[in-house]
Amino acid sequence: MKTDYKKLAEQIVEKSIKKGATEAQCSIYDGVRFSVDVREGEVEQLISAGSTSLSLKIIVDNKVATASTSDLSSKTIDDLIENSIKKAKYLSKDEFAALPDLEKIDFNIESLKLYDDSAEKVSPSEKTKLAIELEKICTSNKQITRSTGAGFSNSYGTTYLANSKGFSNSYKSSSCYVGVGLQAGEGDNLYEDGYYDSSRSFKQLLPIDEIAKKAIERTTRMIGARKIHTQNVPVVLEPEMSAQMLLGFLVECLSGSNIYMKRSFLAGKIGETISSNLVTLIDDPLIPGGRGSVPFDRDGVPARRKSIIENGVLKSYFLDNYSAKKLGVKPNGPGPTNLSLLPGTKSQQEIIRSVDKGLLLCSTIGQGTVPTSGDLSKGAYGIWIENGQLTYPVNEITISGNLGTILKNIEMIGNDPDPRSSFSAPTLLISEMTISGI
Amino acid sequence: MTSNLWLNELLANPTKAVGETLLSNYFGFTKEQLKKLLEIGLSRGGEFAELYFEYRISNNLTYEEDIVKSASENIMLGVGTRVIKGNKFGYGYTSDLSFDKIKEAFLAAAAIADSSNGNKVANLNEKKVPNQFYSMQQPVSLASLEPKIDLIRRGYHSAKAYDSKITRVTSSIADEMQYILIVNSEGLIVSDVRPQVRLVVSATAEDGNVRNTGRGNAGGRVGLDFYEKIITPEQIGYQAAEEAVILLKAKDAPPGEMHVVLSKDESGVMIHEAVGHPLEADGAWKKTSIMWDKLGQLVANPIVTIYDDATIKDLRGTLNIDDEGVVCDNVMLIEKGKLVGFLNDKLSAKILNHKENGHGRRQSYMHPPIPRMNNTVLAKGDTPPEEIIQSVKKGFYAVTYQGGMVSGTGKFTFSVNLGYMIENGRLTYPVKNATLIGTNIDILKEIDMVGNDMGFFLGTCGKDGQSVPVTCGTPTLRINRMTVGGVA
Repeated sequence: MKTDYKKLAEQIVEKSIKKGATEAQCSIYDGVRFSVDVREGEVEQLISAGSTSLSLKIIVDNKVATASTSDLSSKTIDDLIENSIKKAKYLSKDEFAALPDLEKIDFNIESLKLYDDSAEKVSPSEKTKLAIELEKICTSNKQITRSTGAGFSNSYGTTYLANSKGFSNSYKSSSCYVGVGLQAGEGDNLYEDGYYDSSRSFKQLLPIDEIAKKAIERTTRMIGARKIHTQNVPVVLEPEMSAQMLLGFLVECLSGSNIYMKRSFLAGKIGETISSNLVTLIDDPLIPGGRGSVPFDRDGVPARRKSIIENGVLKSYFLDNYSAKKLGVKPNGPGPTNLSLLPGTKSQQEIIRSVDKGLLLCSTIGQGTVPTSGDLSKGAYGIWIENGQLTYPVNEITISGNLGTILKNIEMIGNDPDPRSSFSAPTLLISEMTISGI
Repeated sequence: MTSNLWLNELLANPTKAVGETLLSNYFGFTKEQLKKLLEIGLSRGGEFAELYFEYRISNNLTYEEDIVKSASENIMLGVGTRVIKGNKFGYGYTSDLSFDKIKEAFLAAAAIADSSNGNKVANLNEKKVPNQFYSMQQPVSLASLEPKIDLIRRGYHSAKAYDSKITRVTSSIADEMQYILIVNSEGLIVSDVRPQVRLVVSATAEDGNVRNTGRGNAGGRVGLDFYEKIITPEQIGYQAAEEAVILLKAKDAPPGEMHVVLSKDESGVMIHEAVGHPLEADGAWKKTSIMWDKLGQLVANPIVTIYDDATIKDLRGTLNIDDEGVVCDNVMLIEKGKLVGFLNDKLSAKILNHKENGHGRRQSYMHPPIPRMNNTVLAKGDTPPEEIIQSVKKGFYAVTYQGGMVSGTGKFTFSVNLGYMIENGRLTYPVKNATLIGTNIDILKEIDMVGNDMGFFLGTCGKDGQSVPVTCGTPTLRINRMTVGGVA
């Protein structure tokens, strides 16, 4: 017998109010996942499982307690409700702790195309075959030393949310992934990289020969990498780096809690020019089939498209209901959904050609980001640029700078955003960063 | 859902001698049912089948802006099913503890094998854990709310009171109690009850346009009394505030290659990243670790000895048994520079034909066990730390870190939160925003002085998408030559 989770979530909210909560919210996720990892032509691990989880937010007179459980037995849920109410009463009053007022979702959730059943229709053995094929294409290349593994995974499930303001809605979503990791080089001097694609739909995944080609290219280009001297030079970020390193760090600095806690160098900078005027950054949760698309946030606030940076001017932060209340503005969603730094007109080649001496940044390792100050410092791999041409690979260097300066030093924007992730950005030219080497 | 009787029994006696309750009620199943389930696991020709039952309560409390900002409770209940065949395994899990759902999860895992001949399950026999390395008095997860709120409030106010430049403080306590039961087709039934707690204070200092964050934290598999007897919340708050205020005056690191001295406080993270990960045995049999073919070889300066000891009492990474039910031990990894061992889970030990050494760990029942570290330690030497600093004419002294990362190929980075410059044998000025980068093979050979002190760093280690609590320990170390990334 299939549980009606929409009804269960509503009942839990009702029960919480009956037992003494002033406000209550319940969300449930019920999903299924499959993953297969292969290496050297054989299956290494196969994971297949279904799981359900429930989370609860209880507010008693502006005092809030939260709870979650993977055990959905009624006794556990009842205990959690009672414990949370009891606990909330102990806590401090927080005038901002309240559920958002009910807002109507004025678009059709189906139109977001969050769910696609094409991966479910593919058999486990087909999925396994795909991963094995992908690995085989890669390892048949003579420059590849070995594969660190190829894999396929997919998951789908339904998210339910109900609260005492009268919100009750749900959406079904799916995702699938295929990728491979490789090593190239000789002796102890090996390099690791790889490539993947992900999508909501199996049908839209890149063909495996394209993934293999990219993976081989990315791994073998580092063979023979050397150290270089410490210097300040222009740095060209590949689209992956623009998205992962730059946008990744920027998002952290724009998160509501870092803003109201003043743990970000961008706190209080709305309306100010924080980057080169070439930069426009949009977050759009409503792109049909988008990897980060979502109809409403965890408090039931409908998703909206928003400008984060417009021609260099900071327009908004990522604000969930609580952070927005603290700052006295409207909530616009707790985090990035489909975040896009709008592309320019230059090709990556043109951008590289404009650099006399500098670095094409290919990948980084390590943390090294401090939102409070904007300082950034990471281990880096790249290709040295000399007279507008790519020359030799470099490694065992670090790259550093301050995000505030880096944003202002964006001099050129490419036309080549990487569509594979929910963060999308093109090649970027940063006029100066510090490289530390020998 | 089967009856919750087992849970009521457990909660009525939550700290009864390790796992005794679970060893009599088996999460609501009978021994016959468990055996039947394992038989289903082996029904398609698998060689090894295992059930991993887990019940975990965890709590989080945060104090911020002069109020208790958030309080949460998380309950995790479920069972993982695993079937091994040759070098491969299948894995399933469910949060529904009914016989039929577990059977379904086992059939999903059993699909890794494809024969119609089932293998036999040995008779199930309870085994008690031989040692108790956790403090089971006053587990924080079973304490009431007031003493915990008191702890975080004290940490908060101590940081606030340190200096008027401290503008924001977050003080939080995270605790958990994990109950596990492992049953496998070799006939093992074993259980463990694991407490864990950590109090973290982070403080932001502000001076004009300059803002910095410092952090202090302490905890382990200890009880509430730890925060009276070993370290107080006031000390933790002070640490966080002190670091934040020092950082206000810190300059950017001058980049380049130089002598680097690693302080004892948190530098264990380097041993963990640079040496620990490449010595996890999955990288050895898959040949993806740079160390896979170096057993018996000299891989470090002979003054370097490194081991992983899961049996040090009360530490964050300590375990009585690992997540496959293997009794934990102290495993020698590098002895006087020579590589002598790897950290094994059952599968790696079998493939490599090594002895099992209790290092198979998992994040939860939703994750298969893999070789992991527990408490990784670089053994003490005999040089006083002051002498190490005095020996450096110009160099960098690393004190606290934001984290570190290593690739299978041995290349690593560490992000330093606070460091100092060393000039003519003395610490001169504080430095921020530095990154240390290198290759483990090089660095192990470049360690040329080992201090006679010892510090432990509490970490949460991520690998293959799984996080587990670990500790890493080291004395003060001198690295002859290392690249420091900074700003020119």
